[in-house]
Amino acid sequence: MEEPEWHSPASIEEALALKVRLGDAATVVAGGTFTGILVANDLIRPHAFIHLARLPGLDRIEIGDELHLGAMVTHRRVERSSEIRESPWACVAECFASVASPRIRNQATVGGVLCDADYASDPPTLLVALGARVRLRSPSGERDVLVADFIKDHYETALGADELLIDVVVPRPPRHVTYFKFKSRSSEDRPCVGVAVAAEVDDSGRCRSLRVVVGAVSGRPQEFPQACAVALGDRITIDVATEIGHQYSELASTLSDVRGSAAYRKRLIAVLVRRSLETLAA
Amino acid sequence: MTLDPRITGRFEYGQDQQVEGMLHARILRSPHAHAKVLSINTSEVPQQVVTLTRDDVADLEPLYGPMVKDQPIVARERVLHVGDAVAAVAAGTPREAEEAIALVEVEYEEMPGVFDPVDATGDAAPLLHDGIEIPAELRPDGRNICHRFRLQSGLGQQGFELADVVVEDTFAVAAAAHVAMEPHATLAYWEEGRLHVITGTQTPFNVRRDLAALFRLSEEMIRIVVAPMGGSFGAKTFMRLEPITAALARKARRPVRAVLTRGEEFLTVNRHPARFHIRLGATRDGTFVAKSVDAWWDTGAYADCGPSVCTKGGYAAIGPYRIPNVTVDSRCVYTNLPPAGAFRGYAATQGVWASERVTDLMAGRLEIDPLELRLRNLLRDGDRFATGEVMRDVRFAACLRAAAEAVDWSEGRKNKGLAVMLKGMQTPSRTGVALEIDAGGHILLRSATTDMGQRPDIAQRNLAAEALGLSPDLIAVGPNDTDLVPFDTRTTSSRSTFMMSNAIREAANDLRRKIAERFEVAPEDLVLSDEGAGVAGSPDLSRPLADLAGLRGDGTFVTPGGLDPDTGQGIASSHWHQAAASAEVRVDPETGVTSITRLHTAVYAGNVVDRPGAELQNEGSTIFGIGTALFEGIVFEGGQVTNGNLSDYEIPSILDVPDFTYDLLEGGEHSHGLGEMAVPVVPAAIGNAVAAAGHPVRNLPMSAEAVLGSSTSQGLRRPSSPQGGWEGD
Amino acid sequence: MKIAVQVNNHPVELESRADETLLTAMRRAGFRSVRLTCGIGVCGVCTVLIDGQPISSCLVLAPAAAGAGITTTEGLHDGDPIATAFQELSAFQCGYCTPGFILTTRALLLENPDPADDEIRHALAGNLCRCGSYLKIHQAVRRAAESMRR
Repeated sequence: MEEPEWHSPASIEEALALKVRLGDAATVVAGGTFTGILVANDLIRPHAFIHLARLPGLDRIEIGDELHLGAMVTHRRVERSSEIRESPWACVAECFASVASPRIRNQATVGGVLCDADYASDPPTLLVALGARVRLRSPSGERDVLVADFIKDHYETALGADELLIDVVVPRPPRHVTYFKFKSRSSEDRPCVGVAVAAEVDDSGRCRSLRVVVGAVSGRPQEFPQACAVALGDRITIDVATEIGHQYSELASTLSDVRGSAAYRKRLIAVLVRRSLETLAA
Repeated sequence: MTLDPRITGRFEYGQDQQVEGMLHARILRSPHAHAKVLSINTSEVPQQVVTLTRDDVADLEPLYGPMVKDQPIVARERVLHVGDAVAAVAAGTPREAEEAIALVEVEYEEMPGVFDPVDATGDAAPLLHDGIEIPAELRPDGRNICHRFRLQSGLGQQGFELADVVVEDTFAVAAAAHVAMEPHATLAYWEEGRLHVITGTQTPFNVRRDLAALFRLSEEMIRIVVAPMGGSFGAKTFMRLEPITAALARKARRPVRAVLTRGEEFLTVNRHPARFHIRLGATRDGTFVAKSVDAWWDTGAYADCGPSVCTKGGYAAIGPYRIPNVTVDSRCVYTNLPPAGAFRGYAATQGVWASERVTDLMAGRLEIDPLELRLRNLLRDGDRFATGEVMRDVRFAACLRAAAEAVDWSEGRKNKGLAVMLKGMQTPSRTGVALEIDAGGHILLRSATTDMGQRPDIAQRNLAAEALGLSPDLIAVGPNDTDLVPFDTRTTSSRSTFMMSNAIREAANDLRRKIAERFEVAPEDLVLSDEGAGVAGSPDLSRPLADLAGLRGDGTFVTPGGLDPDTGQGIASSHWHQAAASAEVRVDPETGVTSITRLHTAVYAGNVVDRPGAELQNEGSTIFGIGTALFEGIVFEGGQVTNGNLSDYEIPSILDVPDFTYDLLEGGEHSHGLGEMAVPVVPAAIGNAVAAAGHPVRNLPMSAEAVLGSSTSQGLRRPSSPQGGWEGD
Repeated sequence: MKIAVQVNNHPVELESRADETLLTAMRRAGFRSVRLTCGIGVCGVCTVLIDGQPISSCLVLAPAAAGAGITTTEGLHDGDPIATAFQELSAFQCGYCTPGFILTTRALLLENPDPADDEIRHALAGNLCRCGSYLKIHQAVRRAAESMRR
């Protein structure tokens, strides 16, 4: 078997040109945790790698009206950034901290976890709830796509063949945000169910907006705005929390894997959505 | 302090062994659970790569196996499980071997498979082995059954007529993976017709014997050098990679090394999945009067040590109780799953799970405190076990009381559970050891005890030092090479400390005799110290040990025994492993997640030889038990392992381990092995605690989903027979 | 291809293909402490430090490590407080996972010289020890932290 080429472009333009030129033969390497597994276990045999580590600017974290995370920012940096920790986006740091081990978080990147689109992940669930976007660059320009639209199914994204994900943009989160990672086995497990809640609650305790997203139960994070409508305009009571939990349980499509059957996950969604909302009710 | 090479990482395990000119092996494995092998075409493989197929081993004995000769080096007419070896290659680099294996073309014709030990005994099941010879001591009574261990004591089943209350239930334990961090690794080469194998194995003398039979050589023509193992837990027992590596090396005329991938580990050897139906009868006052154990052990495609597993698990499921009327019918069954073999907690894990859950069912039915019920029925010194043997040095009650106390049992039983067990040691058994004075004035200890991380060298040095009255620093452990060490049955079943302590004492006495002869004095008059040897009362006669170089003491220790396979009577174990555990849990009623809030094990340790080692062994066993209890289980679909990696098959991390406590109960006359005593009791104690919390689980592992499904408030579906559904949890 | 790195502060040229992992390249170069167990970044046995941070060498494609400063336990010297604590407290059995634990501990203690018990457990949770030496490993990390603060 011929040895694949290793490209380490020094600019985004160069990387895009390589991607266009090499097409399907090339595999883009960000942090490399996912490609590392695939290559080392002979699940893919690329003819070329395009390594993004040298691209300038992709490792920046910027906080303004929105949070900008460069595609090559590692999970660990998000987790430990005091700037993020002390900002309204602290929930993002918490969520990235819940992924795997420090070792993996040192390597895995913000862009990578979204482009891999592995269902058993944590950050996509929260990012959807926060209305985050990915910024995609192609030779012809840039476009923003909501994370909710970007992840289409198992390992399938809206990324074009001539595009690179360069930035993740997270709008200012509402007052109340939680991400709950439910693990059914070891502490080191991937999520069996992930539940993200983003709610705007006014000073009198009334719910002004509510987004609830469940992840890790099917090919992409799932959100059911119609089920959340019942919560708007008033305090979230335990009954409302229970009702939304039931609705989500009913509406969500779930899969079976070693972490739990589809039926178990349905049952869990009702419990976990309710519990996440109960903290709002309290 | 000089750093231990295990700490600096310079230590050499089996996978690190290499010799000049060595090739790297890869094995082509069956993708099918049961299929005819119609053709194998290796013509696309590059010339410089050595291939091995059934045609290359036609001149050898066709089959091998430690108890039943049923396994070929590479498949002959059929493959019997996913992962069955079909062909192998040896090439200059691992990559070259990997690429070559992809070029071997095999044509299969798929056949129906059977993946359940109860189904496999039915008439409709495909017959896995046809025309194999089953040794006379086994009882292959039934379809696909390679051995059936039966025991009857007292009135047997009729004993239930004496019972006021009978409880019964069915239980299942999943297959589990050993997950030694180092995979199996073997290096083989031939020199002037003699086969040299450097391998990570717990059973060098079994491997030597079985390779000799397979290659039709005398045992002297086989040399096994044991490489230290990066964990084994039973996986590296009997022949694994040795036959195929030796056959490749024979054809290649070059040394060949084989190292398994993690995925292959799950296809090579696992823990026996098992099913039980247990009945227990008692009088109203809580005296056990009858028990019956029906068991099905799924040994997979090859028997391996399954017949012994079904025997030991069969009597372990009786429990350490005085029960006058017992029947056991324990079947070792072939299926189209990967082979199952020895696994830390050897058969007791499964048997104790079923047995101790039933003990609690009885306690519930009689409304007697589970501790009281157990104490009332535990075997005491001088009692006869169901095998007929008289129990001595019995500590079951002491273990159980210590466990109960640790969780404040007397202050309330909510969410708490107990378990107690007996576990046999490999019996009959034989151990030899030699103590030899070398030119440097050290005592060289020659022993076949293998090193899988249990610190055998420290234990053996301490034992020899004590027996000779010398400092352990003066004792060196020699190379583990069948050319250089006396025969030892094997390093399994936590037997080595017990067996070696006796053999070493014997060897030490022999050495003292030899030294005394040199001094021409009686052994009693010999004075041995770190400074040298001398004669009492005559300091001028003292000589440094180096002057006595070449003197050697030999010691052998043999235990008799064995059980009659038809009646279960005889000697099951030359001494008993005795342990108890207690657990307290919190079960999330909405998710089924079990948190262990307290956990304690109490094991009878006898004389502790290496304290840190004893602690480590018991801590490790406890953690093994937690994994088995809560989430370890191999998932099969149509014979395929669907979770054969360490993300889908998880083992406990430090965060999965609660703060637990334990007692090593010391005393008695012997040194005991304690490498696996906590493994069986921990899941059973946790299971009884989970049941006490309202979730009467019947199967291992107790996954969160299963616990939720077993909740009493949800209603439990109970199968009418073991052949019925097992969906309840 | 040749990949220039520093291993334990010595320049090393790793010989590797682009589709081989750092783990494979390190073993080929004779660093036996770097070992394969799971091959998917779960177990921590193949941990090395890159610029002081633990990573799974089984997941890093070798060329991605070009220019990196890599630490392995082969670089340990007698008297190293972490190694000494592991040895004194017998915080290992078969030893196969031990280098990974020591390196993970080193990264932890360099950043957090006085970790709470829970911080220790969380830092080590991604390193698996099948022999089950966790209790003694935890004690060893505590002792190493104490001796490094002195």
